[in-house]
Amino acid sequence: MTFITGGAYQGKTEFAINNFEFFEREIADGSAEIEILLSAKCIRNFENFVYAVTESGRNAVTAAEAILSQNPDVVIIMNEVGGGIIPLERSERKKREAAGQTGCMLAEKAETVVRLVCGIPTVLKGKL
Amino acid sequence: MFVLITGGCKNGKSRIAEKILTAYDVPNMPRFYVATMEPFGSEAAEAIARHRKIREGKNFTTIEKYTDISEIKLPQDSGVLLECICNLCANEMFSANEKSPVPKIIRGIETLINYTEIFVAVTNQVGSDGVKYSPETMAYIKQMGLLNNRLAELADVVIEAVFGIPVLLKGDLPKCLC
Repeated sequence: MTFITGGAYQGKTEFAINNFEFFEREIADGSAEIEILLSAKCIRNFENFVYAVTESGRNAVTAAEAILSQNPDVVIIMNEVGGGIIPLERSERKKREAAGQTGCMLAEKAETVVRLVCGIPTVLKGKL
Repeated sequence: MFVLITGGCKNGKSRIAEKILTAYDVPNMPRFYVATMEPFGSEAAEAIARHRKIREGKNFTTIEKYTDISEIKLPQDSGVLLECICNLCANEMFSANEKSPVPKIIRGIETLINYTEIFVAVTNQVGSDGVKYSPETMAYIKQMGLLNNRLAELADVVIEAVFGIPVLLKGDLPKCLC
């Protein structure tokens, strides 16, 4: 599994398309049905999956691990979302915390972790 | 030479930028500071005063330009520090009503680069936040992301300031920072 992260609009999806063998139409959004996520070559906006799972009261880390066990070669793209002010709303805090925890798990399990800033990739773990 | 400095708020971007421009050693190179922040309210006034103090004695001529930076006229082979892209982008979007300001700002930067020996631009990372803001703010975050990606493509050197530490993302780290 490859994990690509970075802030919003930093060129993450473009980087994935240019460096892996899939087309834009083969990329699923994190908000897609679970069946789609289990077979997708790439999942972007993975934070949407984390938010939906968290809203339903389940553990996002466990749910994400379930995807990885069935789809071990997936490329996961998730926004870095912990950089701002802690949200006032409790539900927003929970979702943001879940994204951080899920990101740590993904980075730990990934062979390669890449972070994009201004469209420039930095390999944080492994090799491209 | 075009150097782009990015990073979060109050991470030492200006100091790094000023150091690069001050250390860039071309005899008699005129140095200009292009300030894009509209002085609205006391916090802007404080920020402006703080940045002026940092620049004291460094022989910068300050040019205040909040939108349409391509209109700035400079002598050839100048040294320019533009601060900052995030204010410029906000001014173009919300004062000048430019919904997609990226091409206009890029044209402005390219125009200024033509006058310069060295051009240093300070920008900001604004999209690493999980909270959904108003549609206007989300549009701004998107335009800032697209703009930064485009600027980084044009730049010879890209540096991310992390708590004052320059982290090199592209090109060679200027000697004054080594």
